[in-house]
Amino acid sequence: MKLIAVIKKEYREIVKKKSFIISTILTPLIMAAFMFLPVLLMKMGKGEKTIRVADYSGFIYEKMLVNEKATQSEKTAPAKRKADMKGDVFDNDNGAEASKLKFAKIDTAGHSPAELIERNIQAIRAKEIDGFLLIPSTIQKDRKLFYYSGNISDFDTNKYIQAVVRTVVSRQILIAKQINPEIVDEATRDIEFETIKVKKEGTSKSSAGIEYMMSLFMLAILFSILMGYGQLIMRGVLEEKSSRIIEVLISSTDTQHIFYGKIIGIGLAGLTQVAIWFLFALAMMGKFSLGLSSGIMNFLTLEIGIYFVIFFLLGFFMYAILFSIVGAAVNTDQEAQQFAAPISYLLIIPFVMGIMVTQSPNSSVALISSFIPLFTPTLMFMRITVSPPPLAQILSAISLSLLFIAFLAWLGAKIFRVGILMYGKKPSLGEILRWLRYK
Amino acid sequence: MNEQALALNGLVKDFDGKRAVDQISFTVRKGEILGLLGPNGAGKSTTIRMIMNVIAPDQGTIEILGRPFSEKMKDSIGYLPEERGLYRKMKVMDVLVYLGELKGLRRETIRERGLKLLRQFDLESYEQKKVEELSKGMAQKLQIISTILHEPELLILDEPFSGLDPLNIDLVTRILLEKKKEGVSIILSTHLMEYAEKLVDTVVMIDQGRKVLDGKLAQIKSQYGTKFIRVEYEGDSAFMSGLEYVKSFRDYGREMEIELVDLAHKSRLLEALNARVSLNSFQLTEPSLQHIFIRKVNEGARA
Repeated sequence: MKLIAVIKKEYREIVKKKSFIISTILTPLIMAAFMFLPVLLMKMGKGEKTIRVADYSGFIYEKMLVNEKATQSEKTAPAKRKADMKGDVFDNDNGAEASKLKFAKIDTAGHSPAELIERNIQAIRAKEIDGFLLIPSTIQKDRKLFYYSGNISDFDTNKYIQAVVRTVVSRQILIAKQINPEIVDEATRDIEFETIKVKKEGTSKSSAGIEYMMSLFMLAILFSILMGYGQLIMRGVLEEKSSRIIEVLISSTDTQHIFYGKIIGIGLAGLTQVAIWFLFALAMMGKFSLGLSSGIMNFLTLEIGIYFVIFFLLGFFMYAILFSIVGAAVNTDQEAQQFAAPISYLLIIPFVMGIMVTQSPNSSVALISSFIPLFTPTLMFMRITVSPPPLAQILSAISLSLLFIAFLAWLGAKIFRVGILMYGKKPSLGEILRWLRYK
Repeated sequence: MNEQALALNGLVKDFDGKRAVDQISFTVRKGEILGLLGPNGAGKSTTIRMIMNVIAPDQGTIEILGRPFSEKMKDSIGYLPEERGLYRKMKVMDVLVYLGELKGLRRETIRERGLKLLRQFDLESYEQKKVEELSKGMAQKLQIISTILHEPELLILDEPFSGLDPLNIDLVTRILLEKKKEGVSIILSTHLMEYAEKLVDTVVMIDQGRKVLDGKLAQIKSQYGTKFIRVEYEGDSAFMSGLEYVKSFRDYGREMEIELVDLAHKSRLLEALNARVSLNSFQLTEPSLQHIFIRKVNEGARA
């Protein structure tokens, strides 16, 4: 009963904190931003493009424009579209690309191509326009287009222009040969190109990149939670120690109740936070899955989520115990920071190694270090996200961590019992170890 | 029927080779207030912390309510530690609920009793305030409430008066006497002799870890005799040290406590005083606890 009282109090204290509420809300938002930003940036990067067209052939521009209008009105007025299409418009499935391009015809009469090229290159440099398309009068014979732009690697735009012009030219040739317009339509109809990605973790280069980023990102979340809660526990213990309220607590109940109750209570608060994030992520994925690139979707499976919770708990208890020992052993905030620093290093090591682990998740270094209990929560988790090791390995690493936690809890309770009542000078590490022998 | 609320037997505690408590033994009878007196650093708090099982004694035994210490016993003891602190960020009632639950009380009981006590201590309007909003004296009262909330049979109060104004000292004194009437045994550790004198039945005095005095207050006073005279005066008292029939005296500025070699000299003293200072009162008295305390400590320092 008294243990439950401690758990309840510690849990409530954390959950009511402003910082808890803020980080609970803010983290998923940051995470969402992180996931949606690349998609968003990709879209924004291809905003509307103004392209000037110098049409020396005299017939292509008009037909390009008809095509463009048709594509844009595709959804709103199918009947009208059909009418417009008649004779010289082809179907294009890349409506999105078409709607982003804004063509403007420039007068070619009395201007040589060289003159227009020179003028429009200036305009591109001045960022007045995004591109300049030169359609030579000999296009039908040479089948050659010239496109000037600051960005010539936007393949969607390039391909679109190329396809539109090619179709217009082809139709022109066929119509000139007195071919039945219906046959022309049939011959120049666009072919839909549906892409299906073959999904297999870690095979394609782009997917590996996303996984690497996501797994580092998850590690960063894990790291900041462990650090955050660790510090919280440490300060909580130190507060009880320096305010001497611990004497009242010890005179009311068993020290072990206080120690374990504290860790369990704060652990539950952490779990609450993770659960909220988890639900948020599930809801978000259900709603916006289309907006996310498939790489991220591949990554965020239920399996990964469950592993995240397991390794979060393992890491949490290890570091919570370590930080609470520090809180009990020291007397002031400054001392606490000094003692907490080595524990923070313990958390940073896997972070640094994580980069190596993501690159070669099956190397022997990765294998061995993921079995060291202090690193298991972070490194084993990373290995699972990048290239899942055999289940036997995962389970044995988890068991090893559990054993280590049991040992730490036993050790921690002893040090806590003595340290929490030791006031005065800063204890040395040797002294803290000597406390283990106290009854 | 066991009449002892608490029995200490030969308690010894060393810290880093220094003996903080040396063979302390005493008993607290049921329903009495025992004053545990002694200068700073005498070992009072260490003794109390051993009683509360906060630290383990190196030697000696402690029996509470006739039995050795056990975890269950914690529910029938109320302990106010010397250095106070409460959760600053918690609300007043939440603090009481937490500390009450740790004493095995149910939430409803705590609320009911808590409200009653908050009213009694004039803290009613702070029930939903955070502890950090309370003044030092108020926080202290809150802590006293948390000490008696579970209606313990044994109360151990380490310096309960420090930080309280006279009004609140009076309030706490009243409540302690009420508790005594209910049959609660109380250990009161203090160096404020004035208040101890009014409250305690038995005195145990500790100095440098050793017990130097133990007994009923009335007996101890009479043991120190009635060769004491208390005067209230205005003027210069420098001449006092020249009087051969004065064994010792303590000058508080406008009041003096004078110990005579023989009570027969009292009229000579009155004459002498009348000649030098303007006298407001002159009365035969028992030695104050303060006097005994200082004397005992000085004896210890000389020894």
